Amino acid sequence: MKRILLFLFLAVVLCAPIVVSEEEAETFAEGLFLKPLPDRKLLAHFHFQSQAPDSVANGRHHRVFPKAVAQLVNKFQIRELELSFTQGRWDYERWGSSDSLSNPNAKPPGVELWADFNVPIDQVDVTWKSLTHALSGLFCSSINFLESSAAYTTPHWGFNSNSSNVRYGALPREAVCTENLTPWLKLLPCRDKTGIASLLDRPSIYKGFYHSQKMQLHSTHSGGILLDQTLTVVLQPSESTDNLVSDPLLQPSWSIRSLFRKKAIERCVLAKSSVVYLEIENGLVAELEKLGSIGSWGKFGFELPVTPSRILKPAMNMDAPSPSLLYEYNLIKYSETKPIDLGLRWKVPFSWSCSKAPFHARRFLMGSGNERGSIAISLQSTKSHYSHLNTKVVVFQIVPWYVRVYYHTLKIYIDGEEHNMSSVVEKMQVHPSEDKLSPGTMELMLILPYGIQSAVLTIDFDKGFLHIDDYPPDANQGFDIPSAIISFPDFQASTYFFKEKSAEKQTPLLLKFQEKSTVQSYTEVLLVPLTTPDFSMPYNVITFTCTVLALYFGSLLNVMRRRVDEEHRLLSQAKKQGLIPLLFSKLSLKFRGERLEPAPSSDSTFVNPKLLLKVFVVAIAAVLWHYFLNDR
Amino acid sequence: MVSLLYCVTCAFLVILVVGFASSSTIHNNNWAVLVCTSRFWFNYRHMANTLSLYRTVKRLGIPDERIILMLADDMACNARNNYPAQVFNNENHQLNLYGDNVEVDYRGYEVTVDNFMRVLTGRHETSVPRSKRLLSDEGSHILLYMTGHGGDEFLKFQDNEELQSHDLADAVKQMKEKHRFKELLIMVDTCQAATLFSQLQSPGVLAIGSSLKGENSYSHHLDSHIGVSVVDRFTFYTLAFFEKLTMYSNASLNSLFNSYKPNLLMSTAYYRMDLYERPLNEVPVTNFFGSVMTTIHTDSAYKGFASTITKSTDPVKDNGDIFSKDDKHEEGLQNRNLKEQQCSFHVWWKALEKEQGDVFIKYGLISMFAILGLSTLLSAKSTN
Repeated sequence: MKRILLFLFLAVVLCAPIVVSEEEAETFAEGLFLKPLPDRKLLAHFHFQSQAPDSVANGRHHRVFPKAVAQLVNKFQIRELELSFTQGRWDYERWGSSDSLSNPNAKPPGVELWADFNVPIDQVDVTWKSLTHALSGLFCSSINFLESSAAYTTPHWGFNSNSSNVRYGALPREAVCTENLTPWLKLLPCRDKTGIASLLDRPSIYKGFYHSQKMQLHSTHSGGILLDQTLTVVLQPSESTDNLVSDPLLQPSWSIRSLFRKKAIERCVLAKSSVVYLEIENGLVAELEKLGSIGSWGKFGFELPVTPSRILKPAMNMDAPSPSLLYEYNLIKYSETKPIDLGLRWKVPFSWSCSKAPFHARRFLMGSGNERGSIAISLQSTKSHYSHLNTKVVVFQIVPWYVRVYYHTLKIYIDGEEHNMSSVVEKMQVHPSEDKLSPGTMELMLILPYGIQSAVLTIDFDKGFLHIDDYPPDANQGFDIPSAIISFPDFQASTYFFKEKSAEKQTPLLLKFQEKSTVQSYTEVLLVPLTTPDFSMPYNVITFTCTVLALYFGSLLNVMRRRVDEEHRLLSQAKKQGLIPLLFSKLSLKFRGERLEPAPSSDSTFVNPKLLLKVFVVAIAAVLWHYFLNDR
Repeated sequence: MVSLLYCVTCAFLVILVVGFASSSTIHNNNWAVLVCTSRFWFNYRHMANTLSLYRTVKRLGIPDERIILMLADDMACNARNNYPAQVFNNENHQLNLYGDNVEVDYRGYEVTVDNFMRVLTGRHETSVPRSKRLLSDEGSHILLYMTGHGGDEFLKFQDNEELQSHDLADAVKQMKEKHRFKELLIMVDTCQAATLFSQLQSPGVLAIGSSLKGENSYSHHLDSHIGVSVVDRFTFYTLAFFEKLTMYSNASLNSLFNSYKPNLLMSTAYYRMDLYERPLNEVPVTNFFGSVMTTIHTDSAYKGFASTITKSTDPVKDNGDIFSKDDKHEEGLQNRNLKEQQCSFHVWWKALEKEQGDVFIKYGLISMFAILGLSTLLSAKSTN
């Protein structure tokens, strides 16, 4: 009986961890999303998702989840974090601005970081500072410049989160290159050795028009972490030579091999799902439908060299006229012996347009000279959303302290005519800048009347001076004002909507595209030329003034102190100098010379006379003491 | 009398131990600090120089976490670069120096004299991550490579501020005091590089400069596709020397120094070796440019392991060859037993550490003989 009990106990103990690990295992999923863009370019969106279950279950050990990120989350108590490295500017008009792909993945140039901390309010700033240092070490970047309180801000309601523990900062000029991608790839379980990430050929990516590398973190109270890593690139497919008919309107055909200079896609064996999607946008689908009968046009307009494993038809909106088309290639189904080279070959030229936000936002500088200027934010209606309601617009803008913005000069022009601010502004929160301490932050909620063509916001500023040591080495290039965020809270980005419920086959990439988000867009980075000193000027001034002073004081002193009569008297005295003083001076010289002679020999590095003396004194003292002691 | 003799032997033993320990700390790790101090596109070659050295030391075995790479500007993804994410040091474009795995620790505006001195001396803010610190110890060999625009006793950083030869010498002195290196090789490729070493005075430092005072260091050749010069002469010929080597070759520093020909460099390479003790023809280049450690065979792994444990608990620096042979091992143990017998040893040790060990040995010996002689003389007299 005892034996049976013991056996049962052992069985339970041994099986328990297995059961737990099956329930809450760490998972990793990879995906690639390809989409032809209307302007003959191709969008490639890489998505890698790692998920760690509650850390209570498995302690500090991780199987596929990157340990560096887990430590980061635990140390800084991060509730949510987003870090993006971007080079190039997202073209909202041509590449889409209100769909679930472009909306979260279009980022401002340089580095953008925001984080929400789960710490008491008084510790948020300290945590943020340590976090910027940790991230700069992790991603080989100068994110630590966001440490200074003049570089980051606390958004209240203008940014997409409402927590008061959020900090937001951006470095528009930060370079993005291979060294940032290397550590980012090291967070993946297969790195770039195999799997979809192995496609990331550095020269091909950085040759593109736009690339944005993003890391997004969500953590739960119990310690579970969700890490999303995305890389969005816009590439120009090179014209293939086998295209006999060189129609200038024909979209360029492409394949994975021609885009990334890699043979084929393999899957990472650690990934739970490994899927490639090719999307034909609903605008293009509508064009295709015009061409021929529904169903057979797929073979008519273009050709796919590899047959997809599944075709999905998600609607972009519930009321959209035609669904978009999604070809799914499940890499698990393709054997490793037969590598696949995905591609798309166009047969007929097409032109279509992409999703648009209600307003197209731009920002520019006005005025001339090195003293003052003004910032203008222009909103042009795209007429894509016909509604008889007023449009709510939120503007969130950070301006560095050396661009001194006067918030009382805020003006709005609607359709070219100046409009009363109070009738348009619903909510406004301004935090004026403090010199060298904090940037100026403006959060503004506008209600624009329906049917307007354009709205322009202008605000005046004075250009400040920096301390000479605060200027960067290339100050003549000008200073950057980070992008403003224009969001439209009433509009949701169009998401995938599947009519057939096939939840069991949803991949993390598709689930990501079904998340709801408000439409937002980033404006351009502004380059403000400030008055810069001539940095060699201080040296010139110092040398010049010193010369003048030396000449002036030297001659003045000479004039004031010189006594001509006295000089004559002394000269005549010197001639009469007797024998005894001469002898005395000679003797003293000789005496001095003799005394100086032995000094250098004792002053060698080896024998230090002071120390030697000390040692001898001690020795003599010891000997004497010993002698007296023995005497008694 | 007995107490006096005891004290004398005590002092003698302490001096012996100090002398033994300070002279032999084993070389057990390698670090490299590679600095490109020039900004702007036309200084492309300085970044190519630094990246070439980075690639070489990585190839010869120094891992990325032991390399501090400082690049003052972004050339690889510069808008003017025709070859994005690629940097070449030769117009044949055979080798992409930027590769797929580069890790830059300090870049852009972060490359300042301030940060450079902080890296060398290890005086960082608490939140600075480990990857940005030089975590070397008293057994480290450090390679410090710098390139940029220099002049008489200075090196320009970012075209904005200068590192003076005094600053460098002070930093190295501080590193020595803090036991941050065993041996340091400073290699500088700038105009008048030799003048940068004039103030150095710390032992264990070896310095190579590309040109003498009054001489310029020239670039090697121009790449017409990139549009600028891609490498400096001194670095080019240094790399030519290293390309022939693998991790296991034992070419000496002397052969590296002899490979610099003034007619090829168009300047005279300068070596400062008066602070360095070992003969240069016996020091392999991999002592600085690689990370090649000799593995010592022991009969039982456990014994060696035990000795390392005691070593780590011992406040005295390790005796170097402590686990090379059994008799040496026993000797070490005996030494340790003797040390343990001494009263207030730590106090002595701390006092001695501040001064130079060699001088103390000599004084100690001299004073001991004097005291012994005197005391025997006196005691003989008193008994008479």
